[in-house]
Formats: sequence, C-alpha cells, structure tokens
Amino acid sequence: MVEAMKRSVFWSWFWMFIGTLYFILPLISTFLFSLRAKKDVLSFLAYERIFADVNFWRTFGFSLMVGFFTILGSILLVVPTAYWIRLRLPKLRGMIEFLTMLPFVIPAIVLVFGLIRVFSGAPFFLTNTYTGTNVLLVAAYVVLALPYMFRSVDAGLGAIDVRSLTEAAQSLGASWPTILFKVIFPNLRVAILGGAFLTLATVIGEFTMASFLVGIKAFGPYMSLIGQNKTYEASSLTIISFLLTWSFMGLIQLFNRGKSDSALAGAH
Amino acid sequence: MSYLSISNVSKVFGGVVAVEDFNLEVEKGEFISFLGPSGCGKTTTLRMIAGFELPTSGEVVLDGENITYKAPNERNVGMVFQSYALFPNMTVAQNIGFGLQVRKTPADEIQTMVKEMLGLIHLEKHAEKYPYQLSGGQQQRVALARALAINPRVLLLDEPLSALDAKIRVELRQEIRRIQQKMGITTIYVTHDQEEALSLSDRIVVMSQGHMEQVGTPAEIYNRPTTEFVASFVGQLNLLPVSEVDLKNGVCKLNGQLVRFDHSEPRQISDKPRLAIRPEEFQFGQTEGRNLIQGRVEVVMFLGAVVRLRVRIGEVLVSVDLFNERNMTLPRVGDEVMVNFPPHACWIM
Ligand SMILES: Nc1ncnc2c1ncn2[C@@H]1O[C@H](COP(=O)(O)OP(=O)(O)O)[C@@H](O)[C@H]1O
Ligand SMILES: [Mg+2]
Repeated sequence: MVEAMKRSVFWSWFWMFIGTLYFILPLISTFLFSLRAKKDVLSFLAYERIFADVNFWRTFGFSLMVGFFTILGSILLVVPTAYWIRLRLPKLRGMIEFLTMLPFVIPAIVLVFGLIRVFSGAPFFLTNTYTGTNVLLVAAYVVLALPYMFRSVDAGLGAIDVRSLTEAAQSLGASWPTILFKVIFPNLRVAILGGAFLTLATVIGEFTMASFLVGIKAFGPYMSLIGQNKTYEASSLTIISFLLTWSFMGLIQLFNRGKSDSALAGAH
Repeated sequence: MSYLSISNVSKVFGGVVAVEDFNLEVEKGEFISFLGPSGCGKTTTLRMIAGFELPTSGEVVLDGENITYKAPNERNVGMVFQSYALFPNMTVAQNIGFGLQVRKTPADEIQTMVKEMLGLIHLEKHAEKYPYQLSGGQQQRVALARALAINPRVLLLDEPLSALDAKIRVELRQEIRRIQQKMGITTIYVTHDQEEALSLSDRIVVMSQGHMEQVGTPAEIYNRPTTEFVASFVGQLNLLPVSEVDLKNGVCKLNGQLVRFDHSEPRQISDKPRLAIRPEEFQFGQTEGRNLIQGRVEVVMFLGAVVRLRVRIGEVLVSVDLFNERNMTLPRVGDEVMVNFPPHACWIM
C-alpha cells in the first residue's frame, strides 16, 4: 500500500516535471534569444527598443480600450441572458451553451468575412467610418468572448439559488433592474471577473479580425509585423505579451482565492 | 368579508392539476397552516398568494383589494423560504433593511427598524456578519426579520424549518409563533409536518392531491377528521373491519363482539365498513360502560412517556398507546389481554 502510494507520487512528480519542461523550455530559449540584440553580450536592448516604440504603446492602448468595451458589452449581453435562462427557460440552457461555443468552431477568418459582407453595405455602413469599424470590431469580439463569458457567468449563477433570491427580492418590493444590479451582479463579481480577464487576454492577442478590420492600429497585427521584420524584438514582445497574459491569469487566481477562502469559512 | 379571501382558485401546469377549487377565508391576525404530503399543492397555493404563479381560475382578495394578477413586488407580502434565500453579498443588517431600502425609506428610519428587528430575533450582536457566518437557524431568523421589516400585509412561510435539526426546529417554531402573536400578523404556514401544524396554528387546511380535505382548528382536525385521508395523515389511526353496522343506534359487530360507536355525526357506510379509533383511546382491563375486546400482545415498545403496543384483534394488528406510570407492569409479548375503549372515541368510516 505505502509502496504503491510512494510510486504513484513519484510518477505524478515525474509527469509534472516533463509537462513543465515542455512548456517552459521554448519560453526560456525565446527569452535568452531576446537578450542577444547586442552582438556578443546579453542585454535588454530589444526590450528597450520595444518600450521606446510609440506604436507599441499606441496599439497596446488601442487593444486595451477595445478589450474594455468588449468586456462591458459582453457583460451587459451575457449576464441578463444567462440569468433569464436560469430563471425562466432552463430547458434552453443546453442549446444556448452550444450556440456560445460556435466561435470555437467557426474560424475567425470566416466570421470576419461574414461581418464585412453584412455590415459594409446597405443598410449598415459601419465600415465606412473609423468609429463604425471600431464598433464592429468590439461587436465581433463580444461574439468571440461569448464562450468564456457565458460559461463563467453561468457557473456563477449555478453557485447561487437564483430563483429563491429573485423571489425573495421580488416579495420585498424590488423591481427587475434592482434585482439585477443589487442582487444578481454583486453575487457574480468573481465569475464576471474571471470571464472578463479571459476576454481581455484573448482580445489583446487577437490577429485575424483586427487585421482585417482595423489593421496595424491593433496590438495583434503590430506583434505580427514586428515578428516579420525584427527578430530580437519579436522575441522580447513574445515574452512581454506572455507576462501580460499571465498576470491576468494571476489576477483571476487572486480573486478566486479570496472567494473560496470565505466559502470555506462558511462551511461549518 | 374576511381579510384574505381565496375563492375558487385552481392551477393547472400543462395538464397537471396542481390545485383544484381552493376556497379559504382568513381573518386578520390568524395563523393558518397548509398541511399535506409532498406534491399536494401547498407551495403552489402559497405562490399564488405571493404572486409568483397566476391562478388558472379563481381570485385572491387581500384587504378588499383583488390582487390575483398583481405583480409580486407590488403586493407587500412577506415571504420566508425553506432555503433561507438570504442575499449572500449583504450583511445581516443590509438583508433586513433591503425591503425598506427598495421603498426609499430614509436611512435613519431603516436603521431604527433594523435594530428593532434584530432585537426581535435576538441577533443584535450579528448585525455586521454575512449569512455564511451564521448557523442555519440564525439565517432563518434573519430571513424572518427581513420579511417582517417591510410590515407586510400577510406573512407566507414555505416549510421554513425543514432544513434544520430537530431541536432547532422546535425552538424556532415557538419563536415564530411568539413573534407572530406579538405583531398580530396574518400568517400562512406551509408544512408537511403534522406536529408543526398542530402546535402552531389557529386553523389548519389539510390538503391532498390538489384539493382541500378539511379546514379546522387543530383539535377539530385531530378529533373530528371528516375524511379517511385526514384521519390517517394527522396522527395514527386504527381501522378495524366490522360487520352488521347499525348507524341509527350506533352499534356494530367487531370480531363477533357487539361494539358501540359514536353516531352523532351523519356518516355513510362503505361496502367495507371499518371502525376508526386512535391508539391513545385504549385502556387495559374491564370498565363499566366501555367497549371490551380481547386481543393478544405481539409487540411492546417502551418509549418513555408512552408505551406503544401492537395487539392482534382477530385478523388485524392494532396500535395501542398506554401512558407510562411508575408502578406499571409492562405487558409481555404473547399475553392475552382485555382492552377497552369508550364508545364516543370511535366512529365508522
Ligand atoms: N412550475 C411547475 N411546473 C409544472 N408542474 C408543477 C410546477 N410547480 C408545481 N408543479 C406540480 O404541481 C403539484 C403540486 O406541487 P407543489 O405545490 O410544489 O406541492 P407541495 O408544495 O405540496 O409539495 C406537483 O405535482 C408538482 O409536480
Ligand atoms: Mg412545497
């Protein structure tokens, strides 16, 4: 028994080690490579160049902004929808969940061509103006974010007794907006944050839609451009975007930890 | 007209009749229980009073106002759920004050009310705690305070104690009754627990399969059940096959013996008439003026205040409850005994 346990512990460490290597080796070599911008010495020159590039900040800022509006849009779309499905249309849940998965199945290139076809002619002329194009990009990203947002919010709703809370609030005199903003949203904080960070990470690195709709204004196409022209800077950009993504992940973990701690305290 | 009036209310869920022709007049300040087995339509009826379900037909009138189709958030009706349903993101004080806050009551008034409610449920020290920091019993008391803080016209409780331990359950039900009487609030209490219904209520509505079986005070329901369902659902009931029933004179034959029964209320005899009698009506030995019958003891259970026996009388096993006495000699299994019971305690069903 004890022997078997020891053995299984050994093997789980072994596989974890292999997995970590698989994951971390390319990263290390990319990092090392990014330090070689100066001949024969290791330096952060490539990083300095990236941070000194106006276009890095401009595109990053643009994509951050798009990410923000995408998150706002998807929260306003997904939370009331998922709530209503839980409350009144539980039979539709499976179907809606499937629909929100479609962005995983349909290639982004197909989606973006479809969008351009529909929204560049009558009666919508969104692609004729910059604002219109940005709106279209945000809308497209809302669709892209659906799988993350819906799953996350739906799981959050599953963790609270939606129906009883709603009815308790109703019997106390609350209207629908009050119920949504005072009762449902506050209890979904962690779930929404989880979905929001995943959405942000996706939007910031997204290439296909951004390059067709707004081109080099967005961070994804910028990264790709750097990758084609500047070898060392490309590697440093990879590391930077990797760190950014992981700090978002870390933030999610942080918020989730806070939540599960209090849940543990409540389990008596 | 009474304070709350439910007339001819029915509810059909896609072909399933959940509630059928429900009629009830409730006086102001009355404590009414809906009692019945799971699935008999208690919750559905309560939810129609709260406004969460619309009746298929019939109407609900509260304080002279027809509220049948009124939105639940405009009814000013307090509701307490089995699952407590406290808002997890709010403290105890915020939960209790929620209804008043929604009504845009001034902050100082809310504070006063919350304080008063906290005093009523003896949780003054827990005002700033979150629901997950409280025990189930405490949470349900907060839920009660939250429902009462809006000064509702009716208080509705749907199996509020079902999720709690037996001991807390008894404590809290006395608490609920105390608060209800103190505030004089009209209350409807849904339960499947007969003890709860009997101990709390001014009147009980016994329900079965969507319809009302009987309405009456706890004593009426227990002592004068009008249907076999009520008789056997509330308390224990022995049903002994009898023959040669003479309703006019109140006599029949039980196991060959002549037995007299209560025939003051008009009854109909079914094709298989049976004599109904509660276990606690029996005594051992021979007493003048009482029915006497012979039996054989098959099971003896000493429960403390009560000794529960199973006695074979002819073909059937009968439950007999004797009150314990300090000097009592317990009967033994196999004993041949004479049991007697008063004629007024049994009736024909
Ligand atoms: N929303 C609903 N849809 C369909 N059937 C329902 C619904 N609510 C209750 N019922 C049915 O109505 C009947 C009564 O249910 P309910 O009022 O919950 O009973 P109780 O509270 O006495 O246990 C049951 O047969 C139940 O399945
Ligand atoms: Mg019920």
